[in-house]
Amino acid sequence: MGLSEHIVMRELDVPEINDFEVYRRHGGWEAYRMALKEKNPADIVAMVKESGLRGRGGAGFPTGIKWGFLPKGVYPRYLLCNCDESEPGTFNNHQIIDRNPHQLIEGVALSAFAIECHTAYIYMRGEFAAAAITLERAIAEAYRAGFLGRNILGTGFDLDIYVHRGAGAYICGEETALMESLEGKIGQPRLKPPFPAVAGLYGKPTIINNVETLANVPRIVEKGVAWYRSHGTEKSPGTKCFSLSGHVNRPGNYELPFGVPLRELIESPEYGGGMRGGRPVKIIIPGGASAPWLTHEHLDVPLDYESVAAAGSMLGSGAVIVLDDTVKAPHVAYKMDEFFKHESCGKCTPCREGTHWLVRVLHRIAEEGHATPEDIPTLHGIYNQMAGNCFCLLGESAVMPIKSALTLFPEEFEAVVAASRRLPHGNGQRDGKSGPVIPLSARH
Amino acid sequence: MLLETHRAEIETILSRYDSRRSAVLPLLYLAQDTYGYLTEAAIREVAAILGLPPTDVFEVVGFYTLFYNRPVGTWVLQVCDDVPCCYLGAEELISALKQSLGIAEEQTTSDGMFTLQRVKCLAACDRAPVLQANLDYVYDVTPERVNALLTNLRARAAEARQRGVSGRFAEDFEWGPDGALTLIDRAAPYRPRQFPAASPPAPLEPEPVPEADAGHDRPTDRKASPL
Repeated sequence: MGLSEHIVMRELDVPEINDFEVYRRHGGWEAYRMALKEKNPADIVAMVKESGLRGRGGAGFPTGIKWGFLPKGVYPRYLLCNCDESEPGTFNNHQIIDRNPHQLIEGVALSAFAIECHTAYIYMRGEFAAAAITLERAIAEAYRAGFLGRNILGTGFDLDIYVHRGAGAYICGEETALMESLEGKIGQPRLKPPFPAVAGLYGKPTIINNVETLANVPRIVEKGVAWYRSHGTEKSPGTKCFSLSGHVNRPGNYELPFGVPLRELIESPEYGGGMRGGRPVKIIIPGGASAPWLTHEHLDVPLDYESVAAAGSMLGSGAVIVLDDTVKAPHVAYKMDEFFKHESCGKCTPCREGTHWLVRVLHRIAEEGHATPEDIPTLHGIYNQMAGNCFCLLGESAVMPIKSALTLFPEEFEAVVAASRRLPHGNGQRDGKSGPVIPLSARH
Repeated sequence: MLLETHRAEIETILSRYDSRRSAVLPLLYLAQDTYGYLTEAAIREVAAILGLPPTDVFEVVGFYTLFYNRPVGTWVLQVCDDVPCCYLGAEELISALKQSLGIAEEQTTSDGMFTLQRVKCLAACDRAPVLQANLDYVYDVTPERVNALLTNLRARAAEARQRGVSGRFAEDFEWGPDGALTLIDRAAPYRPRQFPAASPPAPLEPEPVPEADAGHDRPTDRKASPL
């Protein structure tokens, strides 16, 4: 299932497409110019709504509907572009910007026009320092060409786009934490409602969209809804830039229509090129670290939101991590939860404490090879107390790796328990004095 | 004082936001690059520029990982040890760096040249193992390339001191066909990475079963608890 034309990674083969003039020669900025001259903001919103474009940041929420939540007549409004890409396995925002920054800027500008906003911020994670410079350079080119600034192209529309660098916090990819961070505070999420569309940045109506989402907008406006809907599936129209990583021969970004089977992404010589060394697939994480795991049994699942959800996982950000049989499930869960523990903002107790204790127990099991029979119910107990009880999705996400590992590979935990049983001191009594570990689940 | 040395830059930053407080991250980057790290005086200075209580700025410095409130080396090396990097050579890379530099994580070499840190996902999983040197990406850093990398960085120490550790002038690097560290060509068309075809899979070695008395002496060199 190839793709005749790329949308997000448009002009894939054009050298110097990062240059304003080259992008312009390939039809770039044309959708924006046409929209400003000939269309109303409401037309663009309607087009995006009808295109069925869904947010690519993870939730898959329809973008046009999100834009429709803005209260009428309340200004100023802000547009925020979320480029705080920090979840293990995700790396397409970075490459979209590196390769073709103008496409994103045009998408931001068009969307700002559509929602009648005059200030847009692109919030980049602090580590994307060089990409931020690339983007700022491209924004400066757009200003010089008169596509940004005051009275753009004589239409009376004003727009400023600024790049704002975060400083190393995954939680700032959560939309309300991103706004807190942009307001100069620590990145802790806000209570919802009110949703950002009603009260967002500085308490004003705010729309937040992911880089990949906004990069779709120029082509939708330029080529129309029918063209866009001819890609992908009925419920997941368009294409997705899948970030494939792990033990594959050709890790990288592959833009494919929604609905392509996992097997094709992993095995096709055009894409993943199969597993390194021909090893078997053990764990597939189809949507970034927060997605429940799949296994080799799910290789025929089509990659669209509905099918992946039906298989018991989520497409999320489309970051597909494929691991072979050299990895151990408890260790993968340990590394993943160590990530969430490190990135927990500390605001709510289930996440702050839960990730902490998951990592403590998993570290002992995965790194030291010591486990007691009680560890397994303890782990179940910890994640059950987190699930559904966290303030934002970070804590909920931390449940997925350990829950998946325990569900799909219980024998690997039991093997550690069995091996520890043979160890005289490996019975969970840390120093022989503190008594046995009481599982959390047994304390209630 | 920042306001005297960087007034134009500070005013440009402030003009971007409808609230002065929003400028706290960019101003902290500026202060960090000016003073080498965020001294208490530097943090208070940023607070004064923004008209904020100093505690608000101290809190921000403590929350975000890219702010250093203690001295760091000329080059801060941040190695991603997350999934999938950790299965594709990140641990070997960290060991090689520790051995070459003679330091552990979170330490700085005695000549003040390098600080080594483990960090979480750097969003370059296709180029694992990956590290950032003062937020310049360096892709595909296999342990064999560590010495070439360190030599290159030492040679550019003066440049690094001038640019600072906050990545305000960052550039990204990869390894050229000649094995030399080269700037990323952003103008080149996108090409996924291609690993060479590998030999057929070797069977996995069976799990080592601990000896019956292996637990008597818990190893003293076991990895420190992460907490």
